[in-house]
Amino acid sequence: MKQALAYLLAVLGVVAAWSAISYGLFWTKGRVILPYPWQAAQAAGEFLPTLALAFGTSALRFLVALVISFFLGLPLGLALGFEPRLDRYFSPLVYLLYPMPPVALLPFLYLAFGLGEVVRLVVVVMALFFQVVVAAQGAAKFIPASHILAVRSAGASRWQLYWHVVVPATIPSVLTAARVSVGLGITMLYIAETKLGIILPPHQALGRFIEFYTFRGDTALAGAVALALLGLLFYVVLEVLERRLCRWKYVGVRGGGS
Amino acid sequence: MIEVRGVSLVYGSGPSAVPALEDISFSVEEGEMVAVVGPSGCGKTSLLLIIDGLVRPSAGQVLIAGEEVKGVRRDVALVLQDAGLLPWKTVRQNAELALRLQKRRESVDGVLAALGLSGFERRFPAELSEGMRRRVGIARALALRPRVLLMDEPMANLDSLTRERIQNLLLDLWWEMRFTAILVTHDIEEAVFLGQRIFVLTPRPARLREVLENPGMGSHEYRGSPEFLERVRVLRRILGENG
Repeated sequence: MKQALAYLLAVLGVVAAWSAISYGLFWTKGRVILPYPWQAAQAAGEFLPTLALAFGTSALRFLVALVISFFLGLPLGLALGFEPRLDRYFSPLVYLLYPMPPVALLPFLYLAFGLGEVVRLVVVVMALFFQVVVAAQGAAKFIPASHILAVRSAGASRWQLYWHVVVPATIPSVLTAARVSVGLGITMLYIAETKLGIILPPHQALGRFIEFYTFRGDTALAGAVALALLGLLFYVVLEVLERRLCRWKYVGVRGGGS
Repeated sequence: MIEVRGVSLVYGSGPSAVPALEDISFSVEEGEMVAVVGPSGCGKTSLLLIIDGLVRPSAGQVLIAGEEVKGVRRDVALVLQDAGLLPWKTVRQNAELALRLQKRRESVDGVLAALGLSGFERRFPAELSEGMRRRVGIARALALRPRVLLMDEPMANLDSLTRERIQNLLLDLWWEMRFTAILVTHDIEEAVFLGQRIFVLTPRPARLREVLENPGMGSHEYRGSPEFLERVRVLRRILGENG
């Protein structure tokens, strides 16, 4: 209940600040620069089917990219962090590639993957993948020795060691890192859906929706709000996932359940 | 049951090599419980890990039931310092861990009950007192019904009341389950209360300095008896001479 009230207040706060900025810009420039919230809401209502479809498609696209990033990044990151030999040879490679912005490689990416759905996924995956790898690697390096000893002394195989210790020990920090990278991921999604989405109709991508209606400020703005909500959605989903999967982390901790 | 023959351990190599254990030999009879004491950091834990098959000695060998130890054995269980519980597993899951890793399906209810943990099966380690956590660590090892139980300071850093309770519990379980046990400790009273024989190690590199017979051990009442106090005094003197 308190939580709901806090969210309501936050929404009101955003709407108030947004209105104030819109009014301020109107007052200083003498014309509408930033449409008011209610204008954007009206536009959203007007284009609701298109906007909803665009939201759904973008959400699905982001979800697929996120899952692929985890699927590829988690095993690699855990192995790098946990096996010192792999760490020595392959980590420099990861660190070298990690800061490389996929945007800078766009021309090569569409030469390699064409202009279809694949290339859009590749761009988002490239951004999220490294976040997952680096987070998993960092977490896997600092597993307490007693946890490993406990399992090894019972005769655990390497696979059991990963399953019972390495994965559960690192999941919390990997999920936190993923949550923090949602913002970056959404940015990459927008770029993928605009720069690499020229041929898309507006109902197949939020980024494309925003670009398509660039000259109708209120509609483009409605799209931008939808994109923000998409980010929020994934942020919340990842947080809920973390709380469910890592219940042990929240017992007896401030802000945790019982 | 356990035979340690000329075991040495050196960490590292070349000029930076650090000798940890030097030519240690002793044997432990079947069903016997012995204590290993020595100054902190003298290599007691390393010795235990060698007997458990987790660390290879630089020289010498360990035999259990007549077979050379070359890796972890399923009839040997280890109780770790600070219990080594996995925080993401409940009490039951932690107690079952060693069993399940060995693909054994026995129930742990009996062991949990014996250690006074019934009713706490669904709690996570973070929700338990330190004394309970240690008991879960012991439960995990005993669930295997091991022939040999190796314990690395299982009661260290507990308040004295909790420590005595767990010591009594361990003594009862030893009478009941008749495992062969090696208890590593730096607590003099604990060594005298639980060790039929007490092996005293020297400071690093650890060598076997003396074996103290302690035939009176075996009952809760031993603690506080004149004989007990006498053994404690002797052991304290031996350790004191170590400097």
